[in-house]
Amino acid sequence: MKIVHVQYFAALRERAGRGAETLETSAATPAELYADLAARRGLGLPRELLRVAVNDEFADWTRPLEDGDQVVFIPPVAGG
Amino acid sequence: MDAFRFSSEPLEPERYRQGLADAGAGGYASFEGWVRNHSDGRRVQRLEYEAYESLARKEGARIVAAAIEKFGVSRAACVHRIGSLDIGELAVWVGVSAAHRDEAFAACRYIIDEVKHRVPIWKKEHYEDGDSGWVNCERCADASHVRPHAHDRDHAHARTFTHDYSRQTALPEVGETGQARLRSAAVLVVGAGGLGVPVLQYLAASGVGKMTILDGDHVEPSNLHRQPIYEPEDVGRPKAVVAAERLRRMNRDLDCTAITEHASAANVSGLVASHDVVVECTDNLRAKFLVNDAAVGAGKPAVFASVHQYEGQLQVYRPRPDWPCLRCLWPEAPRDGLVGNCAEAGVLGPVPGTLGTLQAMQVIQLILGLEGGVRPGLLIVDLLDFSTRGIGARRRAGCEHGPSVRAAPEDAESPEVDFSSLNEAREAGFELVDIREAWERQSGRPASHITLHLPLSELLGGRVAFPAGGRYLIVCEHGVRSLALAEHLRERGHAEVYSMRGGIAALKA
Repeated sequence: MKIVHVQYFAALRERAGRGAETLETSAATPAELYADLAARRGLGLPRELLRVAVNDEFADWTRPLEDGDQVVFIPPVAGG
Repeated sequence: MDAFRFSSEPLEPERYRQGLADAGAGGYASFEGWVRNHSDGRRVQRLEYEAYESLARKEGARIVAAAIEKFGVSRAACVHRIGSLDIGELAVWVGVSAAHRDEAFAACRYIIDEVKHRVPIWKKEHYEDGDSGWVNCERCADASHVRPHAHDRDHAHARTFTHDYSRQTALPEVGETGQARLRSAAVLVVGAGGLGVPVLQYLAASGVGKMTILDGDHVEPSNLHRQPIYEPEDVGRPKAVVAAERLRRMNRDLDCTAITEHASAANVSGLVASHDVVVECTDNLRAKFLVNDAAVGAGKPAVFASVHQYEGQLQVYRPRPDWPCLRCLWPEAPRDGLVGNCAEAGVLGPVPGTLGTLQAMQVIQLILGLEGGVRPGLLIVDLLDFSTRGIGARRRAGCEHGPSVRAAPEDAESPEVDFSSLNEAREAGFELVDIREAWERQSGRPASHITLHLPLSELLGGRVAFPAGGRYLIVCEHGVRSLALAEHLRERGHAEVYSMRGGIAALKA
């Protein structure tokens, strides 16, 4: 198990009902973490519409997650 | 009769009106401009109108033709009086016949505004005190004419004023060299809304020499709370035209062009190539990717921003081999309508205001070659908790930096179909799927003949699945989300899904 810090933006923040959370997870990758959180928080957006950043860099969904990682899920935003 | 003409005899609106009769027209709107007895606090006795007729007729005809094309009205005409007119006389008449009243009113408004703005007609006012004067350009050009009058606002360019940029040239990084760079810069601003307005204002004020505004929208009452360059009187007028007017008034040295079109594959690349920097300020992803592809193609820097409620995203593209473009960040170019859907929109003015101001700063930095600037990737700004988060990105290997073949299948059958009622769709053999959220269905218009209610949020969240097989017509409130979903499903192999153009809102009551 590892501790990760998760941050949500835009439409995901509304759906998660929070901007950030710190949680213990067994997820090995951001993809697994998102699948778990999407189910638990009812995020309601398929992963292929989103990007993920780990420690402030855009990252692959399949990179390994490490203890203490900062994970940010980012939906595209179009308003203007 | 000619669509635009002059008359030295009193105008005959009843006769002109008959000339607009059309069996397909369901309505007629007209505007009459009358000679009033006061101007700027002075009593006026009569007026004289003079025109540069050959030029004015051509320009006037262009305006009427543009109105017919733009608003899809049946017929339109404008007659302007010249010569001497008494108080109460008709100076100008505009008439439009159209299938529906909305287009008739809008086209009528457009014609009179454009005629007043573009057609070379001069007016001489004769005052009760025996004095007289030419108004419009002639009068303002008279530097000895010291008495201020209201329309100076519109023709102020003629008065002497030298812009003073000393407060910015005082910065060692700017100086006279930097000011000269701004003066010789050409900036394209795509979208004159919440983001575009501060971009336009700050760049025009800073002395950028040439600006082009691309926006096909008209000012709406709901724009004013976050687009403070517009005023209530502007409602219904083309945003690009109004914004350009205000900017020219703000900076007399500015060469400003208004293009009243939406960003499209046909206009964006040429425009991006002929400017030094492009600023993307629209509210739709399609335009953002068009601008991205054009900027990458032409090797021009681009500054993107977008907002969602209290948050904004900012991205700068620089034409360098190592710099990521929009497609490097979003390889699956997302579609409008699937995320942050139109039913959820809501925004406070200072949010796009702040992001637009950040865009203006980035543009100035690019033009002046100042150090710093947004690093490659995305800057996320949260205006509620004042936090910013920079997320770095690199150029993605394999990014085509342009539309992929899969993304633009030109020959594919369009998923959009038109129906005037849901019953008609049903009879055409479609199963109807309503993807509006439950709360929308309660507050929105009821829809009949629906086979399935599958809220988009539940479909995207995977809680329900779109049925396989069958021939489906997807409907939502305005047809944006249904189109996005239809395209999304087709890409995933569902061949027979269609979207009802315009959505429930477009159906006749």
